[in-house]
Amino acid sequence: MNKESRRKLTRREFLGVTKAAAVGGVIAAGVVGAAAGYFAGTGAAPAKTVTRTTTVTQAGAPTTITKTVEVPAAEKLKVGYVYVGPVGDFGWTYAHDQGRQWADQRFKNVESKYVESVPEAEVGGALESLIAEGAKLIFTTSFGYMDATAEFAEKNPDVYFVHISGYRSGAAGNAPENMSAAFAEFYQLYYLNGLAAGAVTETGVVGYVAAHPIPEVVRHINAFALGANYAYKKRTGKNIKCYVDWLFSWFDPGKTRTAAQALVEEKNADVLAFTEDSPTTLQVAQEYWEKGKRVWSLSHYSDMTQYGPDAHLTGQIVNWGPIYLDFYKMVATGTWQSVDIWTRIGDYLPWRWRLPVEKSTAGKPEGTVYLAPLNPAIPSEWQEEIKRRYEEMKELLFEPFSPEGNLGEPIRDQDGEVRIGPGERADHDMLWSMDWHVEYVETPLPR
Amino acid sequence: MALLPIRFERRLTYTRTAAILTTILAILLAFGAVAILFIILGLDVAAAFQTILNVFITPRLFFQAVVRGVPITLAALGLAIAFRMNFWNIGAEGQIYMGAFASTGIVLAHIYYGFLPEVLVLPTMFLTAFLAGGAWCLLPAVLKAKLNVNEILTTLMMNFIAILWVAYLIYGPWRDPEGFGFPLSIPFPDYAKFLFIAGNQAYTGFTITLIVAALIYLLFRYGKLGFELTVIGQSLDAARYAGINIAKAIVLGAFLSGGLAGIGGLSILSGIIGRLRPDLSPGYGYTAIIVSFLAALNPWLIVPAGIFFGGLFTAGEALQATLKIPGAAVEMFQSIIFIFIIFGEFLKRYRIVVGGGGSGG
Repeated sequence: MNKESRRKLTRREFLGVTKAAAVGGVIAAGVVGAAAGYFAGTGAAPAKTVTRTTTVTQAGAPTTITKTVEVPAAEKLKVGYVYVGPVGDFGWTYAHDQGRQWADQRFKNVESKYVESVPEAEVGGALESLIAEGAKLIFTTSFGYMDATAEFAEKNPDVYFVHISGYRSGAAGNAPENMSAAFAEFYQLYYLNGLAAGAVTETGVVGYVAAHPIPEVVRHINAFALGANYAYKKRTGKNIKCYVDWLFSWFDPGKTRTAAQALVEEKNADVLAFTEDSPTTLQVAQEYWEKGKRVWSLSHYSDMTQYGPDAHLTGQIVNWGPIYLDFYKMVATGTWQSVDIWTRIGDYLPWRWRLPVEKSTAGKPEGTVYLAPLNPAIPSEWQEEIKRRYEEMKELLFEPFSPEGNLGEPIRDQDGEVRIGPGERADHDMLWSMDWHVEYVETPLPR
Repeated sequence: MALLPIRFERRLTYTRTAAILTTILAILLAFGAVAILFIILGLDVAAAFQTILNVFITPRLFFQAVVRGVPITLAALGLAIAFRMNFWNIGAEGQIYMGAFASTGIVLAHIYYGFLPEVLVLPTMFLTAFLAGGAWCLLPAVLKAKLNVNEILTTLMMNFIAILWVAYLIYGPWRDPEGFGFPLSIPFPDYAKFLFIAGNQAYTGFTITLIVAALIYLLFRYGKLGFELTVIGQSLDAARYAGINIAKAIVLGAFLSGGLAGIGGLSILSGIIGRLRPDLSPGYGYTAIIVSFLAALNPWLIVPAGIFFGGLFTAGEALQATLKIPGAAVEMFQSIIFIFIIFGEFLKRYRIVVGGGGSGG
């Protein structure tokens, strides 16, 4: 032993070693835990039976007895999905099917099946078929399936149900305990879209092609109009004007085309947001570009840049996968608990820390809801503003439905009544039952 | 270019046996064509047909078929009355919506004003759904009877008015105040729904269709109105000669026809959905047209035919869930069967004459 190794450790060295050991320990524990959890929870054995050989050495007589027993492998989790549209709609249902595949790839020991194009009032046959196929976990992915999902949850207590975009669940107390509710919420992204719109509009008019006048769509229109006004007013000192064209349908490319053209030609809008399950609005905007007129639009649910390479400003994108995977794990490990969750920016990220603007992940896939790539045509100071707000919202430091999101002014409705006053923020219930438009929306809300 | 040497001639007679054989043949050919479709898609045809059959022999799936078959059957029974007098009511869809509207009105009136004992709510809903559906068919009937306006157009266009009327109510005054603004009425209380016997609402609906089928059978077998409608359908001149009040009979028959579709609307709300909502019928009123022809306007046959179609819809979902067949292929499968049935009906009325010139038969 030499002298070196016997000398006393300095405090700094001790801390260094301890830190390394602690970090190493945490990492090692994490790796072991993850590996154990992975093999225990999901299993990687697709075979129907596993042969386990046990060798027993008996005391006294040195004979070795080899016993072979058939042990059933971890059973595949059977999952069913009910879709309202065709998986090829490149909108709502397409996004859900992408989420299903994302969750399946990561969970592995799962067999998922889906039934597509199921009319909202007629979900019973699809649910019965999936249950007959042995599904243990069923996702119903349209608002109109809510009551039937609750009814089937009551009739099938051994099957777990997750309803997307509704308000009934065991957690909310208005459905059985084997039913959960989940939703990936876009209003923050619509606000950021609004910022981008307000930053590029030349006419000061934005349009919105909207599906059904329900709170979800109403708050998205409001968030978009608020964002657009924020940017436009800061640029020019004038209020934005937002016009809405209602389709009363979730999927109608024909009507969408007419509506989008009307917003451009009759209302003079040069940015079009939309809630409709096809890229039609973006395509219409691109057609104007090809005719030499600058009209912008957005991505909806998935990256639609290819449908309007010039017209694509940014947009809202969803990945349902992490939400689905969570429910897979709950059911597989027997840790089901009825929940009523809505995910926003920052949820399902490895950490919830905001990044500096220059390192911002705005425009890159992450979590469950994220921003589509930002068009370089957006002026750089507004790109930075969008990134700053995006990062702030990861920690919920910024809320669009607050005076801060409206240049410090209280948020008023179309009648001029103050809905969100100084120091106030919209909460979940206000957002979920929103039945008024902000003052910048010119079109009255149908009722 | 010369015209194809094919003409269609109206048949004067077609025997009952031939008609039955044509229908059976059409269905067999339809399933043959479906088998070809499945082969093209690279599917196991036996497994696919087994899945379709399973819908009709697995109790839980069959109940779904019945639940969906009930509104189709009720509307088809109503259409049988209209079609027997050659009144081409294409408006069952709208009449379904009006029936749904009226029955919801009773539920809301009862909940907010409480003017009825609970046991009478469902019977009152039946009555108003019938009256509303019937009234919706009245305008086209009067226009037809008095001014000879084509009822195909009027009944069809009335559909859109009814659908939009329900949409207006549900996005407006009838929206559930506690429903987070979604376009739904308040949920129906249990006394306004079909009784859930053994956990399934199919029994109630099925019983209702049997009662209605029996009433229609009796109407045409023994009723004066039934006789008048049959004569009108076969020959207006004969009806006039017999001194039948044609206008009155047409209006009454159309009223009955629309009224039964209205009850079909009630059966969707009280038997399936449990509250009023837009898009409450995925085209049941149109499916009912095929059903009523498939059953040759015979009320007893309409009941199984309606359930058969309810089963076809359910089979579509079972095929997707079991064999992972895409939804579009399922729609093709259903459409193929519809087309063959319609073509069979066409052949019962017209004969195809190949080669020009020949004199008509």
